[in-house]
Amino acid sequence: MSRNGARIIVVDDDISVRRALSRLLISAGYRVQTFESARDVLMNGDLGRAACVIVDVRMPGPGGLELQEILLQVPGPIPIIFITGNPDVPTAVKAMMAGAVDFLSKPFSEEELFGAVEQALALRRASSDQGRMAHRRR
Amino acid sequence: MMVETTGNNRIQGWSPAATLLAVAVAYYVGAQLGFILRFPPTTPSVLWPPNSILTATLLLTPVRRWWLYLLAALPAHLAAELPVLPPLLVIGLFATNCVEALVAAAGLRWFSDAPTRFDTLRRMVGFVLVGALVAPFVSSFPDAALVAALRGESYSVVWRTRFFSNVLGALTIVPAVVMAVRNGLPNLRAAAPRRYLEAGLLAGGLFLASMGQFGNRSEFVPGLLAGPPAPAAVLLPFLLWSAVRFGPGGLSVCLIATTLLAVVAGTGESGIFMTPRAAEAVLSLQILLSTMTIPLMCLAAVIEERRQASEALATRLRLEEMLSRLSAAFVRLPGTEMHRALDEWLGRVGEHLGLDWIVIAEYSRTEADELVVRAWAPSGPVKPRTVARHEVPWADDQLRQRQTIAVRAVGDLPPHAHAERLMFRLYGIRSCIVVPLEAGERVLGGLAVGTTGADRALREPFTGWLRLVAEVFASALERTAMEDALRASEGMKSAILSSLSNGVAVLDSDGTIIAVNQSWTIEGATVGSNYVAAWHETARAGASHGRDAAAGIAAVLARERDSFASEYTARDSTAERWYSMVVVPLNQPGGGAVISHTDVTERKRAEENAQRSREELAHFTRVSTMGALAASLAHELNQPLAAILSNAQAGRRFLDAARPDLGEIRSILSDIVDDDKRAGEVIERLRELFRKGEQEFVSLDLNALVRDVVKLLGSDALIRRVRMHLDVAAEPLIVAGDRIQLQQVVLNLLVNAMDAMADCPTEERVVSVQTELCDGQTARVSVQDAGPGILTGQDDLLFEPFYTTKPTGMGMGLSISRSIIEAHGGLIWATNNPVRGATFSFAMPIRNGAAT
Repeated sequence: MSRNGARIIVVDDDISVRRALSRLLISAGYRVQTFESARDVLMNGDLGRAACVIVDVRMPGPGGLELQEILLQVPGPIPIIFITGNPDVPTAVKAMMAGAVDFLSKPFSEEELFGAVEQALALRRASSDQGRMAHRRR
Repeated sequence: MMVETTGNNRIQGWSPAATLLAVAVAYYVGAQLGFILRFPPTTPSVLWPPNSILTATLLLTPVRRWWLYLLAALPAHLAAELPVLPPLLVIGLFATNCVEALVAAAGLRWFSDAPTRFDTLRRMVGFVLVGALVAPFVSSFPDAALVAALRGESYSVVWRTRFFSNVLGALTIVPAVVMAVRNGLPNLRAAAPRRYLEAGLLAGGLFLASMGQFGNRSEFVPGLLAGPPAPAAVLLPFLLWSAVRFGPGGLSVCLIATTLLAVVAGTGESGIFMTPRAAEAVLSLQILLSTMTIPLMCLAAVIEERRQASEALATRLRLEEMLSRLSAAFVRLPGTEMHRALDEWLGRVGEHLGLDWIVIAEYSRTEADELVVRAWAPSGPVKPRTVARHEVPWADDQLRQRQTIAVRAVGDLPPHAHAERLMFRLYGIRSCIVVPLEAGERVLGGLAVGTTGADRALREPFTGWLRLVAEVFASALERTAMEDALRASEGMKSAILSSLSNGVAVLDSDGTIIAVNQSWTIEGATVGSNYVAAWHETARAGASHGRDAAAGIAAVLARERDSFASEYTARDSTAERWYSMVVVPLNQPGGGAVISHTDVTERKRAEENAQRSREELAHFTRVSTMGALAASLAHELNQPLAAILSNAQAGRRFLDAARPDLGEIRSILSDIVDDDKRAGEVIERLRELFRKGEQEFVSLDLNALVRDVVKLLGSDALIRRVRMHLDVAAEPLIVAGDRIQLQQVVLNLLVNAMDAMADCPTEERVVSVQTELCDGQTARVSVQDAGPGILTGQDDLLFEPFYTTKPTGMGMGLSISRSIIEAHGGLIWATNNPVRGATFSFAMPIRNGAAT
């Protein structure tokens, strides 16, 4: 199973949400790393091997959008899925324009979540294939 | 009676020239008479009237005019004596005559209190000693020396003859002349016919007796008084008669007549003194008459003195009687009768005293510089009028100093009393007495009596009596003034009482109602009933406040409390009404209390309405605040919901596995329960804030309350990128308050703080919330932001309704916060921070005994 072994990073300040999300993803066969803040994930996250990042929009300190800005500067961009407790259109638009995979409002169903994750994994694969092909052409 | 007729400085209204002429004529006639009454060849006369006439003149005239009268007598002296005597002797004799008159007049003025009166023993003895003995004695030495030197007569004989002739003259002529001039003829005219008859009988008897004594019996009254002569004894009854019945004046006249008859008879070498030597005969006659005259004069004076004393006593008695009738008339006089009675009694007093006018002047009670004058004159009461104080400044001044003014003549007025002098001239006032009307410390006015006309003066001694009359009038006026004031004050009080919308009742010390006003409509509590008992009755009927009210009123009546107040409800026919009752002690010796009853239903309703409006407004602003917080609240709820959903779905997946990990599933379920609880708490907190509760004071911990609100706003702070620092006091801050309202205040302050920083850079958005215990008595909560702070000069406006700096704000948040905090007995205020932003704080008292 391709999803098996895919590494997913979850960033949310709410421990309860983190735990539930990580459980759901694990039950679907993903490997999950959780962090409580953007700073935490930047310092300790294994971003290089992560297939995607699920991040809360609002957190104490830098939020999801700030994290996205930083990750965009990293070569080989990691797909990002935003989750939020109080969705608002401007934030969603901003996130999507910046290349977010999806913008999920809490509470979301497993189908929504997995759909977004699959999309992200696909994106990730595509970008790495492109990278590999480019490598071969060279 | 209290007015006497007096001469003024002239003799009885004669002009000075006429008086001078009269003196000259009298002197001349007296001198001619003296010449006739001589026993030639001796120069001195048996009776020498000119000297006595001079003495009488000087006694009746002021000292400063004496030289005039003496000068007037000189021509008369020369005219009478030059034809008879050598000029040198004539001049010398005039000098000695003047000396005698001067010694007598000056001496009498020196010794006697009233030199022209002979109505007391003291005055009479003074006259006899000084005027009738010393003066002739002294003046006879130069007189005799002159005659002896110029005529060669025997010094001792001349001295003796002159001395006795002048003694006799002075004794008889001076009193007669002085009294005739002083009392004048009016007295004679006023006498009753019976007195004339008596005087006639006396005169006839005296004439017959004198003739019998001194004259030739065979010629005048043949056979009637035959027998041995009875020297002087026959005359005595008649002289006594005159002394007793006609006083010193009558006696004087009789003595003159007797002396003349005796001298005429004696000089005619007939009668009892028919001795070979003329000088001896003269001497005998003079000694007889003088010795008879002196005791008789004294007797007459004593009798006159007694008569005057008894008359004074009778007058005094009549005055006292009048005074007592006056006091009786005024003592219980109603104030309304006062002015009528004043007019009546002014008249009575005036008539009784024989006054020409009597005035009572009262300082006006309304116009400070006016006197209200009521007056009486013999023609009747004079219409009352007002006199300005400046019209009688001197008298006004004297009255204010409580001085009695006694003016016997206009000359007695002090030089600066111009206005008064003018008034004297204007009204023809001769004399007056003014006594102050005193009432305690105050002078109410003055009582003035007086005479008009040149010859009517008031007697001194009745000033004292007048003061007593003034006292009666003053106390009557004072009482009238007090009654008027009391009536006015009573009227005002009752007007105030009846105008009150409050029901007012006055209780005596037993609680019995003694008076009520018109607004007093308490059922079953009428005048005469016991109000405390009425409350006991209410208490028995089941009203819980009845017992408290009865106890409170009783405590005020017993002076155990200064006041008592209570509010209670009572049903009237239509609805429940609120009443407020205030009980205060009645400040009077007998004690008692005043009850004031007010229907405060309207006020209560207004208060309730205001409270309801405030609560509604508070609720509304709370709801609108919460509306603004909707996003953050959604976040707050979505977090647990998201966790629950994910957990549930994860659980389902685990169960689908071939070998479900039951431990994991248990853990999932436990997390779900926790999250569900968490969501429930959020809902609960919200519901509390949204609840439209009635104000309810409970004991609560401000620390916990603040912590809850901070938690509630946690999501909002997150959304707004605001960091919140909470620093709660170590000790619990237990206050009495309404939880929802206080939460609202904290919520308002926190939301405001976050709003204030909307435009600040994210890293500066910090709200610090602090709770602390100040001085063990006060809990303080402060919320500090880092926004732009409060605009200078807006501090006062911040808490006003509708003051806002936010584009969408209503301006009600701080206003409501203030009314809530003030309703909790606290204070709310705002200050700018030293560096940046503002701090809003509120403080409220720690619940008693809760602070540790």
